[in-house]
Amino acid sequence: MRRKQIVSMAWQNMKQRRFRTSLTTLGVVIGITAIIGLASLGEGFRVTIKEQMEQGFELNVLTVMSGGLLTGVPSFFTEDDIQNISKIDGVVLATPLVQKSDVKLFNDNKNSTPLVMLAVDFSEFWTIYPDRLVFENGSLTQSTRNDTTVIGYNIQHPTEVESFANPGQNITIQMTLQRFPPRRENFTFNLAGTIAKSGAAGFINFDDAVFIPLETAQKVYNITSVDMIFVRLANPSYSDSVAKKIEERFGGSGEVRVLVPAAFLAQVETILNMLQIFLTAIASIALLVAGLGIMNIMTVSVMERTREIGILKAIGARSRTILTMFLTEAALIGFLGGILGVPLGYAVAQAMGQFLFRYSAQVTPERSIITGTRTHPITEISPVLTLEWAALAIGFAVGVSVLFGCYPARKASKLDPVKALRYE
Amino acid sequence: MGKVVVSALRGVSLKIEKGEFVAILGPSGSGKSTLLHVLGGLDRPDEGEVLIDGISLYKLNDNRLADVRLRKIGFVFQFFNLLPRLTSLRNVELPLTLADVSDRESTKKASEMLELVGLGDRVAHRPTELSGGEQQRVAIARALINDPKIVLADEPTGNLDTTTGGEIVHLMWRLNKEKGQTFVVVTHDPSVAENADRILFLKDGLIQGEKRGAGGVHH
Repeated sequence: MRRKQIVSMAWQNMKQRRFRTSLTTLGVVIGITAIIGLASLGEGFRVTIKEQMEQGFELNVLTVMSGGLLTGVPSFFTEDDIQNISKIDGVVLATPLVQKSDVKLFNDNKNSTPLVMLAVDFSEFWTIYPDRLVFENGSLTQSTRNDTTVIGYNIQHPTEVESFANPGQNITIQMTLQRFPPRRENFTFNLAGTIAKSGAAGFINFDDAVFIPLETAQKVYNITSVDMIFVRLANPSYSDSVAKKIEERFGGSGEVRVLVPAAFLAQVETILNMLQIFLTAIASIALLVAGLGIMNIMTVSVMERTREIGILKAIGARSRTILTMFLTEAALIGFLGGILGVPLGYAVAQAMGQFLFRYSAQVTPERSIITGTRTHPITEISPVLTLEWAALAIGFAVGVSVLFGCYPARKASKLDPVKALRYE
Repeated sequence: MGKVVVSALRGVSLKIEKGEFVAILGPSGSGKSTLLHVLGGLDRPDEGEVLIDGISLYKLNDNRLADVRLRKIGFVFQFFNLLPRLTSLRNVELPLTLADVSDRESTKKASEMLELVGLGDRVAHRPTELSGGEQQRVAIARALINDPKIVLADEPTGNLDTTTGGEIVHLMWRLNKEKGQTFVVVTHDPSVAENADRILFLKDGLIQGEKRGAGGVHH
């Protein structure tokens, strides 16, 4: 018997039991809808998070810190360390940074308390983050002096209408030189410019930072070493080798910590991938339930059609023909369910992507957990559905249907024709 | 309780010639249907063999046996056994479909066959829309469509009134003479058997005797 005729016969059978076929197919539709919905939403989520993460990290910048991330052992690295790191293959630039907290800014009657004061070599540091550190007002074009300062967006704009100071103005920075007992001193700096909203690079949020020259900080605080070294790579592919060499240089026993954005991103991506697999696996349960439905309905159908199977066998149908006929029915149900489920799943994902996160955006604080990497919280997720995914889902639907159709189809094909003919 | 072995047939030996019209007559429970099923390759006997054209049927595997049923044997049943959701035409086409004959050819052949059994105007009707006699004609058309050498009929008139039954028997007899196919008809009705070339009497699973029939001389 030719395939075309088997398919046409299977189709006739399904049409004959329209309501039952519809219900069985609906099971598959729901299963595929769940799979496609969650998978495409998950993929959209992954893409969105990845984009945000990439915005938050320069992949070609490594940050070298002392010890663990939060141990905060200050003033660790020397000028020699910086020189040595500069010489590692793949390193374009290594520049130091001193980080101080407990500072206060004054301008006339206005004052501000930045989260952090960053003492850097201006020209080098701006080379590390050329795209991130963009001036909103003013610039660093004129040669910097030892009293040059730059402030972050949130300091310049404490509210939407206010601004802290204008470029060219002198502002006062109060620094805490000693904590116990507290010893604070005021210094006058000239504001060179303010930075547009830039978000965070790794774990430092530039929006809440005030920048001063490194030498000034070293003189005021009477230090020679620095807290961190920022390393710009020729390209991100050097990340691992450079990080490894830096760690080796410092003994490799956790003395230093190198923040590798590429590795961090890879980790996040792994987690997101796992999440997506997990979601899809859960959704697959729905399809398995649908498979059981198919098995159930087909077993009933085989029983009902026992006599018909007997007739077919009596007039010369091979067992295999009967088997193929029933499997074809199962496959058609799976195919139909898949074809309908894919667009439905995508539509559900679209709706969920729009409404689910719109609600969650209302309860998310202004600054997201990824250290202010984005100015706006996620309000919607565009689900991502590739042709491969759609084809795979339909294939999966057909596969599961056929798998669950196997038992009843086999049962049908094994029927004894004489007994089947007697069946009432 | 163990399985009880019921022997429907207990040592039947018979030979049927090509083109013969044989009636097997016997009361119900005599083993007629079982004999017919065994002859037609539907029911593997525990012992013994069936030879068709020198081929021992039950030495064949299930697939080959199905092929023999498809190409060499046509069945006619008491309860017609048509597929209710198919039209007469599609019912008759079924064996051709199984035999991989093209749609066009099978439609043509099936229409001709329905014409031959006098149902040329009933091709598009489903079994439920046909009378018992008409349904049995469709079943006969289906049995003959693959041009089998042997037609086996199991109480073909058992579900029909006397007049219609007579017509069906006449139709089978006519086809036997026109096409030279071998007919084996199982019945409990002597009036159905009397026109056969040969009548075999079956009782308790054994052939008790035989006699020559009218051989259609009355027709």
